[in-house]
Amino acid sequence: MSTTADLEGLASRDAVGQVIAGRSPTRIALRRLRSDKVAVVSSGTVLLLVVLALLAPLITSVLGIHATTTDPDAPLPSEVLSYDGFPAVGPPYYPFTWEHPLGLAPQTGVDNLARLLYGLRTSLAVATAATVLSTLIGVSVGLVAGFARGWLDRLISFCIDLFLSFPFILGALALAPIVVSRFSTDLEALARAQVLALVAVLVVFGWMGLARLIRGQVFSLREREFVQAAHVLGLPTRHILFKELLPNLVAPIVVAVSLTLPAYVAAEAGLSYLGIGLTGVPSLGQTINDAVPSFEKYPLYLWAPVVTVMVLVLALNLLGDAVRDAFDPRTRR
Amino acid sequence: MRFRRPVIAVTAVGMLALAACGGSGEPADDNGRAKGVDAEKLADTGTGMDAEREGPVKIDGATEGGTVTVLSYAGLNSMDPTEAYYQSTLSILSGLVTRSLTQFAYDEESGEMTLVPDLATDLGTPNEDYTEWEFTIRDGVKWENGDEVTAEDVRYGILRSFDRASFLEGANYSNAYFLDGDEYKGPYKSGKDYAGVEVDGDTLTLKMARPFPDMPYWGSFPAMGPIPEGEDEPEEYRLHPWSTGPYMFEDYNPEKSLTLVRNPHWDPNTDPSRTQYPEQYVFDFQTDSTKIDQILLKDQGEAQTTMTYDNVLAANFRTFQDEHADRLVLGGSPLTTYWAPDYRKVTDKRVRQALAWAYPYRDAALAAGYVEGVTRIWGTNLLPPGMPGRTEYNPLPGHEPGSTDTAKARELLEEADAVGYEIKWLFQNDDPNTVKATDIVVRSLEEAGFEASPVATTIANFSTDREDPDNDDINVRSGGWLSDWPSGGSWFPPVFQSTDLEEEGLGSNYAVFSEPEVDQRIEEISMLPIEEQPAAWNELDEFIATEYFPLFVLGYGGVAMAHGSKIEGFEVDTAAGMPTWKGIWVEQ
Repeated sequence: MSTTADLEGLASRDAVGQVIAGRSPTRIALRRLRSDKVAVVSSGTVLLLVVLALLAPLITSVLGIHATTTDPDAPLPSEVLSYDGFPAVGPPYYPFTWEHPLGLAPQTGVDNLARLLYGLRTSLAVATAATVLSTLIGVSVGLVAGFARGWLDRLISFCIDLFLSFPFILGALALAPIVVSRFSTDLEALARAQVLALVAVLVVFGWMGLARLIRGQVFSLREREFVQAAHVLGLPTRHILFKELLPNLVAPIVVAVSLTLPAYVAAEAGLSYLGIGLTGVPSLGQTINDAVPSFEKYPLYLWAPVVTVMVLVLALNLLGDAVRDAFDPRTRR
Repeated sequence: MRFRRPVIAVTAVGMLALAACGGSGEPADDNGRAKGVDAEKLADTGTGMDAEREGPVKIDGATEGGTVTVLSYAGLNSMDPTEAYYQSTLSILSGLVTRSLTQFAYDEESGEMTLVPDLATDLGTPNEDYTEWEFTIRDGVKWENGDEVTAEDVRYGILRSFDRASFLEGANYSNAYFLDGDEYKGPYKSGKDYAGVEVDGDTLTLKMARPFPDMPYWGSFPAMGPIPEGEDEPEEYRLHPWSTGPYMFEDYNPEKSLTLVRNPHWDPNTDPSRTQYPEQYVFDFQTDSTKIDQILLKDQGEAQTTMTYDNVLAANFRTFQDEHADRLVLGGSPLTTYWAPDYRKVTDKRVRQALAWAYPYRDAALAAGYVEGVTRIWGTNLLPPGMPGRTEYNPLPGHEPGSTDTAKARELLEEADAVGYEIKWLFQNDDPNTVKATDIVVRSLEEAGFEASPVATTIANFSTDREDPDNDDINVRSGGWLSDWPSGGSWFPPVFQSTDLEEEGLGSNYAVFSEPEVDQRIEEISMLPIEEQPAAWNELDEFIATEYFPLFVLGYGGVAMAHGSKIEGFEVDTAAGMPTWKGIWVEQ
């Protein structure tokens, strides 16, 4: 044994002579992520889309485009559309113009790029909010159920099964008209209520998976020595749950989050496409729904939001996969 | 009559929109405009009558056989002949299935509809003051089971038309004009003892409480036809009305499908207008509009013998017009859509006028998916173009129909000291087209100085919410009316006559308009000799608009339907804005 090893304390050298430092699992995972090309590219893409979404107001005002017809400065439909509602500038019947890089929407004449950026904003906001909430709920319920044993665990498990068995689309379909009739007189409240209702629907039908996962993890963790030791020391349950168990659950939580986010983005687009999501604010699903009837003549109108959703969901999914691989010591790349 | 479905009253998809007479001051459209419908003739169901017309009808070159597939995105309302009062139910029943006293026939030369006899041998004989009508029922007309149709059957059918409780959707002309129509409640409630309809052999005598010169038109409704007594339980009869016409029900799943097959007992010699060329008609009510258009545009296989009575989508209109003009059928329909401020709430005429200046006609029409000049035509009269004796007037001096001037609206509002006046109206939050149009309307009204508060409702609840006279959430109603026949008599009573709000609600009087002077004028005009009525109705139209301005017209309707390449004889029935079923045949 050489003296250098002693001097470096915890660090040691392997056979080749490299320094091996003690690292937390998270740091190891981050290191692995950085060296994973797919992860780098997909996180770059996600970051770009997030920045675009965040800067939507700035970009649209610089380009002089508008996402809604209610904007007093936006051109009126009759000023930019032909008799049948197709744009009188740009695609599909006129050449490309830099003023409206993705063209104008038929019927309303709003700019497709502006709509896309604001739609992206809505998608990401809804998906993020839903992910945060469902993670919080899922983790707490899972922790309690896993740790409680006995009747409380059985009760919570029953609730999880109950929610799992309730059809998601049906719930969303039932909720939409209720929200509309409740807030019918105040449109701003309605728009807010729709966003909240959408987030609520996604959360209510989305927390169970994580709760089950966490419960299972807690089952195996709670028999481990450090938890037993904490028990013996007489630490309060809260402390054991949040200080002893939770840090050890970071990996599965991060993985679950990274895979839930794209699922919610897709679900938001899907619900808005079905007309039970958002109506008051621009959304990608809504735009896709709008674009279907004119697809034959005006494919760009449909492709832009579809490709955006696809890229966003794909990038988030690949990132999620990479995160899972990075946290899982058994995978080797 | 009513729109195809109540729910679509103001949505674009199902409704007939208005056509544009290229207004001035609009940005030039370098595409040229749509080759539109003949705006002058929209409502021209033809005042033509031909009491002499006799069957059988032969179409030169027409071939027998084939199946006609009819696609639509929405199901039918009640198919009970007594209750049929929507464009689709009326036109399908009287075009193919049920016969009534009179009927409309398409006139190829004028493109108009002509009123011709049907079950009756002529168009009826009135007495001096039109309070008694005599119709002679033809011999040789049979039910689908082979039994002879008698004058008694027709009498029973007419008696049924008094029953407003069993047939909620039906038209109330029998109650309004017939002897004791307000007291007699139909055979189920009041029994068959009714003095207003008498039978003597083949002759039917109808007695009126007040002059009813338009009786031959009312006679063209399926409600004025025979009903088999004892087989007419309303809940069941609407699923299988007995046929007297060329086709009969074989299979009917409401909201889904309907199959009509040839009625072997129909005798072409007794029918002055219908034909029986195709083997059968198969209706499918569950195809969405995008798909219908695609099927018809592709025109492959079965699509060649397919047709629709829905309007083609604005997105596909140009393709149909440029590439398949021969399969696109454009025409008029006697429809006026309007915004009606609640007369009890929006009491200042200047505010109502300001609203008419501020309304974004073109923008809202485009956003809602109408095709200017085809499915939306601008105008000011309540009576659509083509109504007899119609003369254009303009209740807003200087206002070009279809144009918007928010500055002028603001001026009027300031004059009335009503800047910030709140306008509250219903829109269907689950119909994307309506939502788009609503956004534009809000913007325009706010620009003019109104406070715009659209009230969200759903497609399903729209009619109920609108027709509640005590709905305090709204002070403006959007509505529309289609004439039942080319006379002001089918417009002014339903649209402007006061109703008993407690008893009957607001009916079709969406403005809740009530002026004793107008009520009285309506009564007087309907008593006038028939030749003097058209001028008088038009005068009244202008008088109401200039004096009270209770509502303003958003535009008139037109239709743009399409069919496959093997469907022949598809014309527009301008009386209903539907296909003329009677002359359709399939190329073999």
